[in-house]
Amino acid sequence: MTVATHQVETRIQNRIPAIASVADLVSSFCAAHKLSQQLLVALSVSLDEALNNIISYGYSDAGDHSILVRLAYEPGSVAATIEDDGNFFDPLSVKRRDLHSPDRVGGYGIHFITNLMDDVQYGCQHGINRLVMRKRIV
Amino acid sequence: MEMLEQVFGSITVVEPRGRIDSVTAKEFGEHLSKLLNAGRHQLVIDLKSISYISSAGFRQLLIVSKTTKEKNGKLALCGISGEVKRLFDIGAFNDLFFIYPTREDGIAKLQ
Repeated sequence: MTVATHQVETRIQNRIPAIASVADLVSSFCAAHKLSQQLLVALSVSLDEALNNIISYGYSDAGDHSILVRLAYEPGSVAATIEDDGNFFDPLSVKRRDLHSPDRVGGYGIHFITNLMDDVQYGCQHGINRLVMRKRIV
Repeated sequence: MEMLEQVFGSITVVEPRGRIDSVTAKEFGEHLSKLLNAGRHQLVIDLKSISYISSAGFRQLLIVSKTTKEKNGKLALCGISGEVKRLFDIGAFNDLFFIYPTREDGIAKLQ
């Protein structure tokens, strides 16, 4: 893990247990910047949802891949960035799920991200997916 | 993840602590499944000590709710406030569970 003045980043393997280190990073980042519980929960849940999707569905092979997670404290907001070399996938293109379906079981990760964060941007360049999620500091 | 457990007659109260996320959801679900398979069909899950729950955790709650119904048992949730309540609101989960303010209320409703 490298630490800059207003930015921290880490790389994790594409395995679900590795997400725990990102959750710990978010906790220490929020504590260091005295960010609210609301912001901590928004960042933690959004990163959990996005990383779970990438690790569970983003790769065509079973090999090891590295995923970059960066947290940046910006004027008036916090940005969480994820970069991965998985399959091209724009999470913002996912059709909205029916929240009142009687047989609902799961698959609501994107719904949580778009409701918890103020701005979500996706791009893909040179085979790298880049998801940037921003939350205003209020 | 840490989970406290208390038994009140036929009712079992489970209090998970910390995060219920992609990493811990499986363990959380397996713990509840074991209780149901052991014949503990009256469950109160007290969420007062969790910091947040992601969709992986909600999925486990929905599975436990379904299994409890299949076994003619009852499931009550309690201790939901602050940011955790906000997550329930965002996911529109409030109508899918019996939710009570405290574990005492949950136990009383299941008796």
